[in-house]
Amino acid sequence: MGDLRVAVDAGGTFTDVCIYDAKTQDIRVTKVPSTPDNPREAVVNGVERGEIDLKDVELFFHGTTVATNALITRRFPKASLVTTEGFRDVIEIRDGTKDNLWDAYKDVTGPYIRRRDRFEVPERVDYAGRVVTPLDESAARALAQKLKRRETTTIAVCFLNSFANADNERRMKEILEEEIPDASVTTSAEVLPEIFEHDRFHTAVANTVLGPLVSKYVEDLDGRLTDDGYTSDLLLLHSGGGSMTPPLAKQFPVRLAASGIAAGAIAAKHIAEQCGLNNAVGLDMGGTSTDISMVNDGELRITNQWEVEYGHPITFPSIEVLTIGAGGGSLAHVDVAGALRNGPESAGAVPGPVCYERGGDQPTNTDANLILRRLGEDLADGALQLNRDDAEKAITEVIGEPLGLSSEQAAQAILRVANANMADAVRLVSIRRGLDPRDFALIAFGGAGALHGAEVAKELGIPTVVVPPNPGVTSAMGCLLVDIQHDLSRMYSAPASEVDVEDLERQYREMEAEAADRLRQEKVADDDIILQRGISMRYFGQWRSLQVTMGHGQEALQQAVETFHEEHERQFAFRQDDNPVEVYQVHLRAVGKTPRPTFTPATASDAPLPEAKHVREVYFDGTWHSTPIFDRAQLHCGVEFDGPAVVEQLDATTLVPPGARATVDEWMNIRMQVARKGDDS
Amino acid sequence: MAPRQDNTLDPVTFEVLKNAFATSVDLMSEQILRTCYSFVIYSRDFSSALCDAEGNTVMQGSADIAVHVGTLHFQCKAVIEEFEDDINPGDVFAVNDPYRGGTHLNDVSFIRPIFSEGEIIGFAQNKGHWADIGGNVPGSFDVNATTHFSEGLRITPVRVWHHGRFVHDVAQLLVSNTRAPDQAMGDLYAQSEATAVCEREVLRLVDKYSKDTVVKAMQETQDYVERTVLKSLEGLPHGEWETVDYIDFDPAVGEGLVPIRIKLTLDGQGIHYDLTGSAAAVATFLNSGYGTTHSAIYAGTKTFFPDVPLNSGFYRAVTAEIGDEGTVVNAGWPHAVTGFCSGPYEKVMNGIFELWSAIMPERAMACAFNLEYLLIGGNDERQREAPYFMWYDWMAGGWGGRRTKDGSSATSPVFGTGLAVQPVEGQERLNPVLTSRHQISIDSGGPGRYRGGCGVEKGGVLTDVDKSVMSYCCDRGRSVTWGVDGGLPSVPHGVWLNKGTSHERYLGATFSNVEVKAGDSFTRPSAGGGGFGDPLDRPTEEVLEDVIDEYVSVERAELDYGVVIIVNDPDVDDYDVDEDATQRTRESIRRQRHAWLDASPQEVAQQYRDGSIALHDVLRRYGVILDWGTGELFEKSTQQYRESLRQRSSSHWS
Repeated sequence: MGDLRVAVDAGGTFTDVCIYDAKTQDIRVTKVPSTPDNPREAVVNGVERGEIDLKDVELFFHGTTVATNALITRRFPKASLVTTEGFRDVIEIRDGTKDNLWDAYKDVTGPYIRRRDRFEVPERVDYAGRVVTPLDESAARALAQKLKRRETTTIAVCFLNSFANADNERRMKEILEEEIPDASVTTSAEVLPEIFEHDRFHTAVANTVLGPLVSKYVEDLDGRLTDDGYTSDLLLLHSGGGSMTPPLAKQFPVRLAASGIAAGAIAAKHIAEQCGLNNAVGLDMGGTSTDISMVNDGELRITNQWEVEYGHPITFPSIEVLTIGAGGGSLAHVDVAGALRNGPESAGAVPGPVCYERGGDQPTNTDANLILRRLGEDLADGALQLNRDDAEKAITEVIGEPLGLSSEQAAQAILRVANANMADAVRLVSIRRGLDPRDFALIAFGGAGALHGAEVAKELGIPTVVVPPNPGVTSAMGCLLVDIQHDLSRMYSAPASEVDVEDLERQYREMEAEAADRLRQEKVADDDIILQRGISMRYFGQWRSLQVTMGHGQEALQQAVETFHEEHERQFAFRQDDNPVEVYQVHLRAVGKTPRPTFTPATASDAPLPEAKHVREVYFDGTWHSTPIFDRAQLHCGVEFDGPAVVEQLDATTLVPPGARATVDEWMNIRMQVARKGDDS
Repeated sequence: MAPRQDNTLDPVTFEVLKNAFATSVDLMSEQILRTCYSFVIYSRDFSSALCDAEGNTVMQGSADIAVHVGTLHFQCKAVIEEFEDDINPGDVFAVNDPYRGGTHLNDVSFIRPIFSEGEIIGFAQNKGHWADIGGNVPGSFDVNATTHFSEGLRITPVRVWHHGRFVHDVAQLLVSNTRAPDQAMGDLYAQSEATAVCEREVLRLVDKYSKDTVVKAMQETQDYVERTVLKSLEGLPHGEWETVDYIDFDPAVGEGLVPIRIKLTLDGQGIHYDLTGSAAAVATFLNSGYGTTHSAIYAGTKTFFPDVPLNSGFYRAVTAEIGDEGTVVNAGWPHAVTGFCSGPYEKVMNGIFELWSAIMPERAMACAFNLEYLLIGGNDERQREAPYFMWYDWMAGGWGGRRTKDGSSATSPVFGTGLAVQPVEGQERLNPVLTSRHQISIDSGGPGRYRGGCGVEKGGVLTDVDKSVMSYCCDRGRSVTWGVDGGLPSVPHGVWLNKGTSHERYLGATFSNVEVKAGDSFTRPSAGGGGFGDPLDRPTEEVLEDVIDEYVSVERAELDYGVVIIVNDPDVDDYDVDEDATQRTRESIRRQRHAWLDASPQEVAQQYRDGSIALHDVLRRYGVILDWGTGELFEKSTQQYRESLRQRSSSHWS
């Protein structure tokens, strides 16, 4: 075993590789094209390109889109569903809603298991877990025989109210396994013992259909890495912001869906921590979209409500990320009534912005940045030449002429609308949680984040912007920073005043035993296990619950109730002390600590500001400004400079607008003060 | 592209403020969803709006329920009229009055003025459906109500916060008139607080952009929407289009469908509707006030302009003549209107779908299933105190077949596509009702070249109940969901009690306060969507796929589509199409089907009573309307329904 820690983050287009050397504390980064048809290839290619000898690798982290892509394309092996008589269509009826409320031609996508592959069996449990109708064993066996004839081996068993009593589900599983020797059977209660059939069935079904595919992928990759000399466990990044080893990933493959989105948020949290910032917004802006995450009191916001596609909920804790259609390639246009619009349509990789000369003729944010010379005409050290004339022509025709603006004014208008849209999205994620964005710092990364970060921050009244050293590959670094983590939950429904504290303690103990068991299976040493209790509560009669932390001991519940009142007031501006509080669910987060990279801060030098590569005219606030263009590699720790300035590097361009002051901190981040705190203009 | 007018904001400021208004309203919706007490609100039966100083709507929430569209400005104006210059910072008003542009009594609006420099610049409004608002029946859906007095509490504009102080006595009066006062008080708080979120956001914009700019942007956002609609009409033909759809019956008149007539005119100046000639108000609660009729008109139209934001600019471009008070579409005081959502609302929306289908064939669609609510109220004997329970249930159903694809199955009603069906496990925890099935019903989609979406069947058993009654708010038990362009109808709505037992009863598609006891079972379907195009033109392989998935039965594949399926081994989905027999069957249907629509209704009714033909045949082949329980013939309804079938279906057959 050696000193390297490697993270491979496979995205839709590129697979990023981040290599950390624990001895030297150096980080190296490389990129290879993704290989969607055989995702393992890109991982192997990335290892090769990074010149990594797997024998030297202590930990190998991997974020993958295998699960996400399989769910979107529906390319997974045939699976069947066995369910309570009368409830064959829970996953097709869903809750009936549509995401596009008004377009009668836009439908929600179909269920993961077709109706012909969904079967019923007589059985019924009531809300309290009492068996109303015992499982009809002969019918169950006959059904198993039928499934065998149909050559289905991947089966989900989802019975009504199984969160309250899973006996019938378990018995059905046994019968299926007896009759179909090579069957792989999942029950809904073992995946997610929570109320609401639609959410539980969907989560279990997604988990089931991904099983064979993810198992095979993980096994193949694990085998290949082992063959090549890696001796430890492969660590797979999951959407909850932790990782899992292959045996658990095979058991809970659905947790790998959205693994890609989590990495950027984790990186944002890491950078915030390094900078000593308790509250930060992560703005990960790429070519077609922007992912916004929130670090509040040092923790990422977590949600239980997410999905890969609308109508197919996956009810596992996931890092809350809001994705909006605003990226470098977002298209600007003047609509039928003469308003200037920006996104969500995007030029994508093909045809791309006009200035890429790949056939695009609709102006994008990238074109606008080029017109204003915020972006240089040579990108990636000259590997990409941008055509400013074409961009100018497109912006003039599409935006400038209809609105009576010069090309510069039109470009600036495009960017202001884009930045305001991103600011609105940040407002939505913060204010809906009762948080004021002005109390946050903005961490700007992704291919385009550093170009827009300062102006988005100004729009929001956010005083500080942090641009990490390698904005384009920051997400991959996030993969290096995760612990092993499992999230368990149980229903626990009772008025807080009537809870039997010992019974509650027993529930936590049982979950803790199960969680510790999982972690030991993953070879986590007992000293590295951290167990965190949580509890969800609501005012009696309310529908949504709020999760708060839960301590130990006799007083813990009382304290949690007080925390609940406070949190309700903070998030929603009111509390109701007279209204009884009801416990709804108990939660446990089990963490197996993984060695974290340590970074040595750079030492500030008082060397003078390096000379600019050159000076060019850049457009800000309605006029051209002579602006120094710096090479990021030349900027040493401790250097300070005022805007306007542009900092260029291989994977990003950082914009320091007039009035902003920039420094390079000890982690080699560019930190900008763009406004006074609370100065909202 | 339209030239911008003089005196306008610069394009960036305008776009930024327009989007910021949307965010400020959506934040209000986010908060209400997280803090509400009514499960109806939680299921997304609510809406939010920012109105200007005159009460005109500047922006509605992006995920608002369709049915509230175009009513929020009326409610805001009612508050302004009522209180005039006695509106103060820190005030919050409540209103639900359907005769002041409200929807029905359950929908309670909370309205907060937004002040800047001592002057009102706008109003923040949140409207949510309370689970109960008093009246004769639990859930306040009294089908047999003829006036609002038996429907529940009518709230004309009142103040519940005054200068920032809670007006406890008034709030207490409101909630004390409901069956669930604690819950209602919770919602009163939650909704009022939600309006403060919008106020805060708008004031932030004022700080940043100045009061004048924000006020101007409120007006320009409305102008923008009006301009967008007018521009979108360019290139569409001018002319007049007419249709008629029906409510099942008016008990005061007797058997016979109740017409709602809609005329659409496009003249290049806007979109104009005329509903005069619609029937007199009915002696049930299936009437509509002016607010909800306008809502149906706006929501129906918006379906064909899905990307246009909703505000008063839309209401300027779309005008309607709804005639004098006293009709089913403009009921007026004191007619009962709570059931508007199942009655005129659905008919106006679907009628508008049909009219626009002719103008924009690329968005054409047949009729969708009808909104339905089943309510059971009584005492829950599972608990010692036997508290009052309200099992209040609505279903997804099928939408109409479309120009290029089948209708959408098991989808929320056109009344609100964001209205979520409740999870059975949640319902069972709260109510002594055990659901025995909740699944797609076979053969429920109207046959067509493109099949209507499938409806759903839901049934249950009452377990530990006492003193319980059941009510049903629906329609289209007789005016059955229709097909277009040669497509056929789906199936009727209606509730069965103890179906399949010796004391089976068909209760129909609207009824109120039927006594039920422990052990009783009930079931009802939601209709599928109407078919689009001639079912005999549907490719046999598509019919076969439907048979494999059991959306269509082997029997009805032959009877409705003329496709003869050979069943080899259904356990492994092994079926074949008998192509020769199919060709013969299709020819035979083609020869006879016009004559079927002239068959003696009495004989058809008799065959149904004998059990020799199925309900599907009575409707789809013969166009005959019966009491589906007794088999009694409704002669006048049959005549009207056959006329509709001839127009919408048979006239399109080759």
